[in-house]
Amino acid sequence: MTDAMSIIQDYFVIDSVNILFLLILAVIFTGVTIYNSSFIKTLDLNNNDRIKYSIATVLFVLSMLGTILSNHLGLSWVFIEATTLASAYLIYFQKTKNSLEAAWKYVFICSIGISLAFVGIILLLTGAEGINSLFYNDLYSHADMIDPFWLKLSFVFILTGFGTKIGLAPVHTWLPDAHSEAPSPISALLSAILLNSAFLVLLRYHKLMNLSGLSDFANTLLLVMGILSVFVTAVFVFNINNYKRMLAYSSIENMGIAAIGLAIGGIGTYVAMFQLFGHSLIKAAFFLTAGNVLNLYGTKKISKISGIIKKDKLTGWLWVLCFVGISGLPPSPLFFSKFLLLKELFARDQIIFAIVFLVLLVIILYGIGKVVIKMSFGEPPESDIEVKIHKTMYVPQLVFLIVAATVGIYIPDFFLNLLNNAVIGCR
Amino acid sequence: MISTLILLFGLINLVMSITGRIKGLITLLSIQGFILFLIIIFSHDISLDLNFLFLIFETLVIKTIVIPSLLKIILFENNIFRETEPYIPNFYSLVISSIMLFTGIILMPFYLGVSISTILISLFFITTKKKLLTNVIGFAMLENGIFLFSLSVAEEMPVIVNMGILLDVFIAIFILGLLVKKINTVFNDSNTCALCNLKDCGCDD
Repeated sequence: MTDAMSIIQDYFVIDSVNILFLLILAVIFTGVTIYNSSFIKTLDLNNNDRIKYSIATVLFVLSMLGTILSNHLGLSWVFIEATTLASAYLIYFQKTKNSLEAAWKYVFICSIGISLAFVGIILLLTGAEGINSLFYNDLYSHADMIDPFWLKLSFVFILTGFGTKIGLAPVHTWLPDAHSEAPSPISALLSAILLNSAFLVLLRYHKLMNLSGLSDFANTLLLVMGILSVFVTAVFVFNINNYKRMLAYSSIENMGIAAIGLAIGGIGTYVAMFQLFGHSLIKAAFFLTAGNVLNLYGTKKISKISGIIKKDKLTGWLWVLCFVGISGLPPSPLFFSKFLLLKELFARDQIIFAIVFLVLLVIILYGIGKVVIKMSFGEPPESDIEVKIHKTMYVPQLVFLIVAATVGIYIPDFFLNLLNNAVIGCR
Repeated sequence: MISTLILLFGLINLVMSITGRIKGLITLLSIQGFILFLIIIFSHDISLDLNFLFLIFETLVIKTIVIPSLLKIILFENNIFRETEPYIPNFYSLVISSIMLFTGIILMPFYLGVSISTILISLFFITTKKKLLTNVIGFAMLENGIFLFSLSVAEEMPVIVNMGILLDVFIAIFILGLLVKKINTVFNDSNTCALCNLKDCGCDD
């Protein structure tokens, strides 16, 4: 018995980095569960399907929890694979033609990504002769023993593989489909926790690159993928007709910003952490509110929706507030992270890069803003269907937004310590 | 002997890249699995070690028999026999795949060269074929390449090979997905072209 316990303690640890991710998972999942309790009633399901939905959700969260806690590269990989399997059923849950397409693409693209990440792990082992362990601590302490050629090659594969799960362009293609077709609470989980937990694996691998003195190589690749993600979002968000896809693209953008932060290093690592935290809270709130909107109007098409505020006041204002949060207007925590990133870019004389970045952000702000304003204000279209939304479908979003705004205005000491320790743990 | 087998393994990729008949592709996949089995037999000491038995089971039973026969069942249930119109003519596929294989062999040690080029060829295979079933076959081919690659570290870390086997779970999922025929009944024609509903455009989406 004690043996089993000690093995578990070896493989699963809480350290200064993953505690932040654990906190995010706990907060988001609590909120989503509260939302789910009413959401599931709106789906008109039989008892059997409800049980399946609940079990799959719990398995999905469990696999993400495993990814976050694991202290072993191989185990992280296995859990990331498990997240794909558990969430594929949830994406297909509504059993429409589109959800089937989204689920098929999701599983196919992600499993190829996962296979490439596995090749990366084998390449790492090929270069790390004599270490024979995939525990992060062993890898870190023997970082100078790993052959740089194999390590570089393996990073390319790992970045492509886990980058697929994170949703970094150009391997993001599953993300808009899956996020838009999954039930809204699942989209919130996908966007707010799954992307983060895959990012955590990348953070840990990035630390290995830092310790082996290959950070320049790794940072260049991360920077390219990060800016490409922001660019892709700017291009696609501009003229979009599905608000859940719009939110999915915004996730790609935010992950791109986190990747840029990580690549820049220094205060950038802090930006990445803050970005991941803020994005999770606000995007979860946004997706849950999108669930309310879908409930009220029964369509995902932006062109058919207007006057949410007149139709349902609270949903409408939540929709607007989520937009304020995601676009990084103060007091959103994302304002901080974007501001710090730009400041750091200017401080390092990367003026052109900073300007390009700023222009792309403005395009995204315009794209999303246009849609949100069009949907929120004006007269709602005529319809005789009256939908009542239960109050537990407002509370989680409100709490998420309040927490995010609080952190945006005033960072409590314990949270600051948490962030600082996480940043130190990433180096 | 092992080098011959590995070379044969690599050459099968080339044959696969020009094969149009899906039945032929499945047979080739099964042969690849059997070659992996032979490679294990010749490169490891035969013993009753659990890891060794596991490798034997994986290659001989799963890769050689189970996956190909499941694929065949789908084939007959759905009456799809030919990859009719690949995005790139077969001849060019052959040329590109050969370049990949020989560059791999020249640039890297033989073993790694063949396995890495198999991985690349299979990715190329997936992107150039249209049918969902051929995509799954391409994924199984990718899987074989990765398995060959993982054998290179099997001595030091046998657990890594066992982990790789988890990838088969995905193939199983695809096969199940196709088997339940949901994909086929929902999309009458099981081309990837049927999977183009979700996209971004200002128009009707």
